[in-house]
Amino acid sequence: MKLKIFSFVMLAAMAVGCSKEKLEPIPQTALSDAVAFSDSSRSVQQVFGLYSSLKAGQMYAGRYQVYQDVRGEEFINRTNNAVTAWLTWQFNLTASANEVQNLWAAGYAAINRCNVVINGLNTAPINATLKRNLIAEAKVVRATAYFMLMQLYARPYTDGNGTKLGVILKLNPETSSGDNNQARATAAEVYAQIIKDLNEAEADLPATYGGAAANTNRAHRNTAIALKTRVYLNMGQWANVITEGNKLVPTAAPWRAPSGVANELLPNYGTIFTNYTNSEMILSMPFTALDVPGTQNGLGWYYNPGPNGGGEFALNTTAPGIAANTGWRTSDARRNFLVVSGGQTWLSKWPNPNNAADPSPVIRYAEVMLNLAEALARNAAGTSVDARALAILNAVRKRADPTITDFAPADKNALIDLILTERRIELLGEGFRTSDIARTNQTFPAKGPVGAVAPSADQYIWPISIAELLVNKACQQNPGY
Amino acid sequence: MRKVMLLVAWLSMVYTGFAQSARTVTGKVTDDAGKPLAGVTVSAVGMEKNTLSGDDGSFSISVNDKVRSLRFSYVGFADQEVRLGAGNTVSVKLATDSKALSEVVVVGYGTVRKKDLTGSVVSVGGDKVRDLPLQSFDQGLSGRAAGVSITIPNGVVNNPPVIRIRGVNSISLSSFPLVVIDGIPTFSGDVGNGNAANNPLGDINPADIESIDVLKDAAAAAIYGSRASAGVLLITTKRGKQGRAKVNYDAWVGFTRPFNLIPVLDGREYELIKNEGLTNAGTPPNGTTRGFYPYIGPDGRPVSTNWYDVIYRTGVSQNHNINVSGANDKTNYYFSAAYTKQEGMIRQNDFTRLNATMSLDHKVNNRLTIGGKFQYANTNNTGVNSGSTPGGAFATSGIGRLGFNLMPNVPIYLNDGSYNINRVSNTIGQGGNITALQFTNPQVLLDLNTFSSLSERVIGNIYANIKLFDGLSFRTTYGINNLNVVNKAFQNALHGDGVANGGSVFNTIQTYNRWNWTNVLNYNKTFGDHTIAALAGSEQQYTFQEGWGANRQGVTDPFYNEFQGGFNTIVPSGNFLGENYLTSFFGRINYDYKKKYLLSVNGRRDGYSAFSPENKYGNFWGASAGWVISQEKFFENSGLSKIFSNLKLRGSYGVVGNNQGINDFAFWSFFSSGLYGTNPSLFFSQAGNRNLKWETSTKTDIGLEMGFLNGRLNVEATYYINDVNNLILAEPQAPSRGIPGNSILTNVGSMNNKGLELSINASVIQKKDFSWNTNFNITTLRNEVTALAAGNADIQPATSGLERPSMIRVGQSIGSFYAVRTGGVNPANGQRIFYYRDGTAVQYNHAAPVASRWTLVSTGAVAPRVADQANDGVIVGPALPKWTGGWENTFRYKGFDLNMLFFFSGGNYVYNGTKAGLRDMRSWNNSKEALTRWQKAGDQTNIPRIVFGDNISNGSGVVMTENVEKGDFLKLRNITIGYSLPKSVTDRVGINSFRFYAQVMNAFTWTSYTGYDPEISSNGNGNGNPSVDRNSVPQARSFNIGVNVGF
Repeated sequence: MKLKIFSFVMLAAMAVGCSKEKLEPIPQTALSDAVAFSDSSRSVQQVFGLYSSLKAGQMYAGRYQVYQDVRGEEFINRTNNAVTAWLTWQFNLTASANEVQNLWAAGYAAINRCNVVINGLNTAPINATLKRNLIAEAKVVRATAYFMLMQLYARPYTDGNGTKLGVILKLNPETSSGDNNQARATAAEVYAQIIKDLNEAEADLPATYGGAAANTNRAHRNTAIALKTRVYLNMGQWANVITEGNKLVPTAAPWRAPSGVANELLPNYGTIFTNYTNSEMILSMPFTALDVPGTQNGLGWYYNPGPNGGGEFALNTTAPGIAANTGWRTSDARRNFLVVSGGQTWLSKWPNPNNAADPSPVIRYAEVMLNLAEALARNAAGTSVDARALAILNAVRKRADPTITDFAPADKNALIDLILTERRIELLGEGFRTSDIARTNQTFPAKGPVGAVAPSADQYIWPISIAELLVNKACQQNPGY
Repeated sequence: MRKVMLLVAWLSMVYTGFAQSARTVTGKVTDDAGKPLAGVTVSAVGMEKNTLSGDDGSFSISVNDKVRSLRFSYVGFADQEVRLGAGNTVSVKLATDSKALSEVVVVGYGTVRKKDLTGSVVSVGGDKVRDLPLQSFDQGLSGRAAGVSITIPNGVVNNPPVIRIRGVNSISLSSFPLVVIDGIPTFSGDVGNGNAANNPLGDINPADIESIDVLKDAAAAAIYGSRASAGVLLITTKRGKQGRAKVNYDAWVGFTRPFNLIPVLDGREYELIKNEGLTNAGTPPNGTTRGFYPYIGPDGRPVSTNWYDVIYRTGVSQNHNINVSGANDKTNYYFSAAYTKQEGMIRQNDFTRLNATMSLDHKVNNRLTIGGKFQYANTNNTGVNSGSTPGGAFATSGIGRLGFNLMPNVPIYLNDGSYNINRVSNTIGQGGNITALQFTNPQVLLDLNTFSSLSERVIGNIYANIKLFDGLSFRTTYGINNLNVVNKAFQNALHGDGVANGGSVFNTIQTYNRWNWTNVLNYNKTFGDHTIAALAGSEQQYTFQEGWGANRQGVTDPFYNEFQGGFNTIVPSGNFLGENYLTSFFGRINYDYKKKYLLSVNGRRDGYSAFSPENKYGNFWGASAGWVISQEKFFENSGLSKIFSNLKLRGSYGVVGNNQGINDFAFWSFFSSGLYGTNPSLFFSQAGNRNLKWETSTKTDIGLEMGFLNGRLNVEATYYINDVNNLILAEPQAPSRGIPGNSILTNVGSMNNKGLELSINASVIQKKDFSWNTNFNITTLRNEVTALAAGNADIQPATSGLERPSMIRVGQSIGSFYAVRTGGVNPANGQRIFYYRDGTAVQYNHAAPVASRWTLVSTGAVAPRVADQANDGVIVGPALPKWTGGWENTFRYKGFDLNMLFFFSGGNYVYNGTKAGLRDMRSWNNSKEALTRWQKAGDQTNIPRIVFGDNISNGSGVVMTENVEKGDFLKLRNITIGYSLPKSVTDRVGINSFRFYAQVMNAFTWTSYTGYDPEISSNGNGNGNPSVDRNSVPQARSFNIGVNVGF
């Protein structure tokens, strides 16, 4: 009897042996790195993932443009909320401020994803043309992310012609623990990489994707060229802006790219921000109810009053805010995007709420025209007024206010000033103000209770993220922080 | 395993009986009231012989002539040794043991008598947590046991307490102990939706708990192997006790209030301070574009709103529990049902629970016993956005900060009866103010938003126990622990966080299912002077967890607030899927020689699914020894035995592990799916680490147990060291590397916890009508981080993602504060003085232009840079209390009883971030101390000159020592006064017992801390950021009255 029971128990104990299958479960909701590039469908999805990181909440979903613009004089903070750009608006940042840490991290998350994807695509078993196209798209994203970081964390290229510190240059995929220490490259090195990526992308990108949606949501050949006009403009390399601009902007109307996607200056300014999938949008970032900018991230959140936004920033309706500029006439179609609510004036280019967010423009044709116009104007000999630059400027302006008389600047500098003012009107809220002030070595003007910030001030640029400095001992902080 | 069997077999062969009987002693055992005691062990001292007393208390035992005395022992009574005289009849009255429950302590997979214990285990009786106005038993353990630190984070109902056994034992994994209920490890944490807190331990009816045993050292805990690093809480629920059916009814009603709310400015004071700030900023109030002005209420007077009154209330609670239990020699049963409904101090924050428990054991025959237990709970938690649960500290609508930061000069309702809200800015309505206001109107949120977390819980097990042969038995137990949670959140479209999505409802279902099958062979035998207790077993545990849900947005009509109503968008949300599996073998041998020399060895081998195939298995072990010096001849013969009734030295050493809190698929690298517009996308989402393995904790424990005055005074002192190695760290990666989450789980760190535990139990007075029992314990803790990742790079854990007052740095106690030193307010100009790390004093003037706000105190010249945490932070610590403990006193006089539990903690600092918020010079309201601001040269004050918009001088924008305060406190945690009706009365009405009582929880707090309460945790159970007080609600004080009736 004893023996029988004992044997039974021993048998039971053996039956209890472990289950190997349960001990090695396979995750059912994600793809392992071993199979992530195994076919063309996954490869294309990987590239879409890169655009997603470019338009992450901290990036082109809105915060990047907001940080760019609220440092300037156009907006007044309404919420005093340290989470939503109040510190940036009043130049009161430290290295541990959330925007400083989060944008830095989001920028490099996008860059590393590009590096991972470029590396993964190199060995992916897919068609060679597709492979070349996809890698080129990744390079556009990488170049754009580096450019974004340079606008806030580094002295402008034009301050010292690229000799000042830029950001950290990462070109290889990082997928496991490794060396955290890496010093910042110079601005010149970072810009050189941006240009290299865009040049290679121009060569390898498809001329068109065929459909309007893909042609605005994905980088095609004209996108790379258009971005180069922006980059060269920020580098103060007028001739290069002209070379690239000439590829997209003809010498006279109709203002339409001669090859590739027929990007153009739309006849009606209003339609740019009603149907966002249009030929003026060279690259813009889409959102859906399932793919939202995220809480307190979207452009609409910052600039719309309730209930569609957080009413974070109203327009500065006293000088020097552009809304107070009397030269900007009420008949100008661009003024239609200034709406009054609750006693404040708000920018309504992105009127919808978070779960129906309007696309965020990355680059559109009018900017390329203004980039080219400025380069032409600055490149003109002596104090002469460049006729083509003036024609482009008038074309952009009269598109919105057809009855206005043409500008007739007295000299080169007057023309440049007009172009710079026109950029503030045309591109209001689209994320240019910091770049435009910094690359021209101007002072950030005072606004509301916030004083002016001269180029000599340490607050002229952001600090480097404390999270970087804590573990990357080779990274140098910006002066004054 | 096989070796254990061989040893057992060998020992059984060694056994031989040799007793010769010379005479038969008979007698009767009763309790001190003369009632016969059945089942008392009667053993002959000096020979291997014992028997049990019968139902009438009588016994009969044959002994040889060497036997001089008999020993009587019975659970719940003190052992008694009686010398044999000439006669053969002995009558014995056993005295009740004051430490009835500590007599037998529960250890992993078994029990052991406290006096035979060599590991470090502390036991708390279930009666200690039964009648408390709490949601979960763990909240009631503060101050109860040495080495067990329990912090209630705040007054949010069913918010999980912070439990630390001998310090913080992990950085990135869990430091919460493993909680095992009747042998089945259970779920802990918070399964609510962030607004309605839901601690799964709140599903357990505290009245069903017989005992809570805490395993602290390796000798006790290593049998739980990889899960034992943070200690183990063993919960044993009640079973029937021998005798006729007993019915107990316990009930209480009570009310609960917040206490120590900080006084804030009233309407007029607010206008004065804020307008002064505008003037000082160079932008004086002008009546058109800026300024703060009163709102005239319906009575024609300017309003002054106390927002605390809108948010807090007197919550009313009730609790009912009934149980029926009993047992005969074959069957043992326990049934209970309970209902509790508790309103918290915050409006809408309620807890309702229904429990049913059944337990049955049946002795089928001499060999086989079967039994099982079934516990069902239905728990409903409702809440608000309290801003007081982890991650919520900076919520714009967090109700904790709305209470003190909302403007007092605006009304709750406008004069026309509508809510005072500003729909353009989605903030509180302006009232008469012109300068923009922040924050939302809590009345709207309380009226229209709903948050709930509903749990359905089944915990059950069945077992069979087979006696194989003398001393050897086999037990198999299969248990389930299934938790289904429905979380619901509705946020209205009119005001607050719901506006952004046009009103939204977010429902999820979360399922946590676990089964556990444990098989154990037990061998217990005494051979002469040698006693052996051995076990060997296997355990498998499988856990499946998933969640799914959706967020419906854009409510189509204000009438709807349920998921199934009208909405125009639906977004999937709250989805997760995971599984894990643990397979283990374990064993233990306890041996003693003459109850004098005690030895215990245990070991366990665990395999866990979350680790890579190369690192799945780990081995853990513990060993301990004890020496009962008081049993030694030399000791008995020396004078010392007159002083000591017990003297025991024990020590243990061992290695346990930690996998608690690790992601189910931690070692994998993978890509997750997302969307880019309408296109599917893939993105790099986890950088895995195949080399990941268990954290290990090497635990050393040396203890001395002393009994004096025949056991009336017991002192236990223990020195412990926990050396945690291979800490799994979310190793911080330079953000420029772009690694997802900027971290990779790696075994890199190490840390240790050292300290002393001292507990004293005394029956100070034991008279017929009056008794006084006291129980004091104190534990010291010294935590030190000894290694971190990436060349020991600092880690600064965030509070709710925004503020980083805490620091994890090698050489320091974990989570010490890292703050810029401040030097008060400069009497000359009213500016706050800060110090650079090199000692240079700088001051901040928010009214100056951006580039010249920071100036040198010495010269007034513009300072070279700002003072900030990165450059100027210094360590202020520790944040973990250096000492914690409790002191309980129980007095009885005739039918009256009085119990007082003091709880104390200190030696640490608390980051009072709430103070920064209370002194913030945006449009936020301030504490009354703003009235003592600097106004003119020479003013000595701690409140700087008010400058509107200043968030630096107060510490909102920079973590500063001004806001780091000492956290010492002493609390009268609980005071209860009760009265039991005399037996003469209860007998007359036909009941067994009747007691009623009145009780106050958190009756008094003595502290110099200036916030609500130094017992606080805005980061919940966060390891690296303890003792942070950021916008949290305070603690609750409860008053209740209740009855305990026995039939």
